[in-house]
Amino acid sequence: MTQSMKVAFLPMLVALLLSTAACTGKQEGPGTQSRSPESTAAARRNVEAGQGMVLLRGLPTLGTVHSVAIVELDPEAADFGAILQDFELPDLQLPLHHLYYSPTGRLYSTGLDPKCSLAELGLSRNAEGAAVIKGVTCLNTHGQQVGEDIIWHNVSGKEYMFVTFMGGTGLDQADCGSIGVFDPQTNAVIKIIEARKGKGAKGAPFLMYPHGMSAYQDRMVVTSTVHPDLATGVGNGITVVDLNTLKPIQNIVVEDAKPVGFPSSPVEVLFVRPSIVPGVAPAVLVNTMFGFETWKIPYNEAAKSFGVPAKVHDGAKAGTGVPLEFYGNDTELFVSHALPGIVKRYRLSSLPELVSSGNDIKAEAGAHHMIFYPSASGRKLIAVQNNLLNLGKAADGDPTDVDFIAKVNDHSITVHDLQSGERLAKLSFKDRYKKGVENVEALFGSGFVHHH
Amino acid sequence: MRRLASAAASFAVVFGAITADGCHARRRGPTPLAGFSAPFVFGRFEVPADNPLTEESVELGRRLFYDRRLSGTDTVSCSTCHMQRLAFTDGRRTGIGVSGKPLAFNSMSLANLMWGAQRFFWNGRAATLEAQTLVPIQHPDEMAEDLQRLVAELSADDSYRALFAAAYGEISAGAISRALASFERTLISSNSRYDQFLRGEITLNAQEEWGRKLFTAHPDVKVSLRGGNCIDCHSQFLTSGFSTGLDGFSNNGLDDEELLQPGLQAVTGDPAHRGRFKAPTLRNIALTAPYMHDGRFATLEEVLLHYDRGIRNSSTLSPLIAEADNQSAGSQEGISLHLTEAEQGAIIAFLHTLTDEDFVTAERFSDPFVRK
Repeated sequence: MTQSMKVAFLPMLVALLLSTAACTGKQEGPGTQSRSPESTAAARRNVEAGQGMVLLRGLPTLGTVHSVAIVELDPEAADFGAILQDFELPDLQLPLHHLYYSPTGRLYSTGLDPKCSLAELGLSRNAEGAAVIKGVTCLNTHGQQVGEDIIWHNVSGKEYMFVTFMGGTGLDQADCGSIGVFDPQTNAVIKIIEARKGKGAKGAPFLMYPHGMSAYQDRMVVTSTVHPDLATGVGNGITVVDLNTLKPIQNIVVEDAKPVGFPSSPVEVLFVRPSIVPGVAPAVLVNTMFGFETWKIPYNEAAKSFGVPAKVHDGAKAGTGVPLEFYGNDTELFVSHALPGIVKRYRLSSLPELVSSGNDIKAEAGAHHMIFYPSASGRKLIAVQNNLLNLGKAADGDPTDVDFIAKVNDHSITVHDLQSGERLAKLSFKDRYKKGVENVEALFGSGFVHHH
Repeated sequence: MRRLASAAASFAVVFGAITADGCHARRRGPTPLAGFSAPFVFGRFEVPADNPLTEESVELGRRLFYDRRLSGTDTVSCSTCHMQRLAFTDGRRTGIGVSGKPLAFNSMSLANLMWGAQRFFWNGRAATLEAQTLVPIQHPDEMAEDLQRLVAELSADDSYRALFAAAYGEISAGAISRALASFERTLISSNSRYDQFLRGEITLNAQEEWGRKLFTAHPDVKVSLRGGNCIDCHSQFLTSGFSTGLDGFSNNGLDDEELLQPGLQAVTGDPAHRGRFKAPTLRNIALTAPYMHDGRFATLEEVLLHYDRGIRNSSTLSPLIAEADNQSAGSQEGISLHLTEAEQGAIIAFLHTLTDEDFVTAERFSDPFVRK
């Protein structure tokens, strides 16, 4: 991020931060209920439904190292917030980034460290039945760096694992970015989809800073977010990839007001499709990180053509900024907004239109990833990880400091009643463990139905 | 000769259990089971707090499992009806014990007992694995043993005195049941080709992969999804029934209303549970013929034919079976999956990937009384 960009961005964020409800970072205790001793054996077996897998970033000045950990997230548990296992990754300069379970139950993580841009995590169970992290195996990406998102998708009867690498095959490239196509069984690279803007003919479809992706039938849509150095460039559209040829075929700009003066930086995308909403006319939803907007792009399935993008959420007007993730359950779609740190909720059946299904869930600055799970007593919960990026704060003398991002890093997970949104507990990883929390995933099973 | 071998084993155990700090033997606590590992994807399991898995309890349980002295006639052991090479089944329609009369049920496989429905026997009449172990021992047609007599018999054996002392500190019916349950909990089948596939070590061939997809799909004609509907009762990774409540018990359409056997109703008294039996693990299913609670089907082909076009309707038939169809509604053929022969073949090919050669040959599960 250049200094001028930081200066331009900061006032807007400060204004937004000042307008948010007070978020003191106070450590809240676990709920007053504890697990009933009369719990059934089945309920005890399901105890890990309330446990999460988290990626933690060591904060250098606080003397901690990156790790992957299993943490208790049931606010009814006496040990809410306890790290049950912390598997440290001392060899990594930068942490793992985003966890994903494959359809066959294997756990993967993308990574920010060039030594480990994509990894498979080994899991097992001990003689007490508890989950155990056995190891982290960094995979050969053939030089692709800064892993972001993973999806598994079937094309013409063959399953592939697709991974976006925002740094592509080299951070020295101003227009970097690639999609790795992997064999989901062997983890071997089958193909690298790369179409650099500066290398192709003028007007040719390109792929740049790919981050979010979603697929329907033989079409994949991929966002163009920001150069990983946060300084060289910012994207403002999505790329359509033909999965028959594994080549980009179209770029679609999703950008309007530029509320902070930057390109819109599309970050996550959801291809709304019949498997999510029965009978729906397919469309693409796109969150723009710096545009503060959510866009809808209609898709004509017969013609395989995309329509004109339309804004369906305007954060600058609504007082929300940095929209990030889409997560859905059977009835609702949830969208996180790092500013002011909320999760908005919509009726799934109304997609691709965004029709509110209830009040915002008030998390913390940096509201980002989320999981859904039951408490021991069966209460339906949502946990929100509150960090945009786990970079340090100047006040800590942290060399990873990027001022504006530090303001959307609460280093916490807040747990809420799913129905009412009531906050039940908060776990500050920085206060309790001197670490940031990069990502959260339910320990066993995704906890959500639709994400990409 | 067997007794001599036992005595030698007992000496080793006793020697190991005695400290050298004086003339009084002091019993050490049992040793937590070393090297235990189970697949993460099988899910959480629970071992009773009063019967943790230990080296001593598992070894004792293994010996008891294979010891014919557990029957009143000293002719039948647990392994008589649960043979390792048949994935701990016996190849019969229904088991035969000391009385020589056919038993009421097919002998269930003993794989992966810590997962799936946590009530045991086809009709769920045992609420714990510990409780289950003592039922066949005392049943007059199965092993016909009196527990007090068994305790006395084992107490007269030096090797068992040492093994029980090390594992539980006493010889009792409770200790016998806990030891057998401990051994049975270690009977984990997790190295079939399917497991290797799940771990990313191998790729299934095209027919097996097709079968896997059919196995895991509930048919939905609206989105052109064809499925074998297996996963509705047999979970994806374990292939066993579900553990929540009584979800692991289903009426899978074997009989008409008037012929329905009590099944789970015999335990709960609930008429809605009539005809519901435990959905077993399908691990090693190719080795465990014949099939169903009464062993009525001799082959996997017969099983697939049953699910495809042999379903008998009744008031407690699983709704997941009743409405599963790969063709649009309106068929006059009654309940049917309408799978093609090739699809049935693919599912069977997938079921063969569940065979775990390690499981059926592993020495740690084998008869300890057999001389190598």
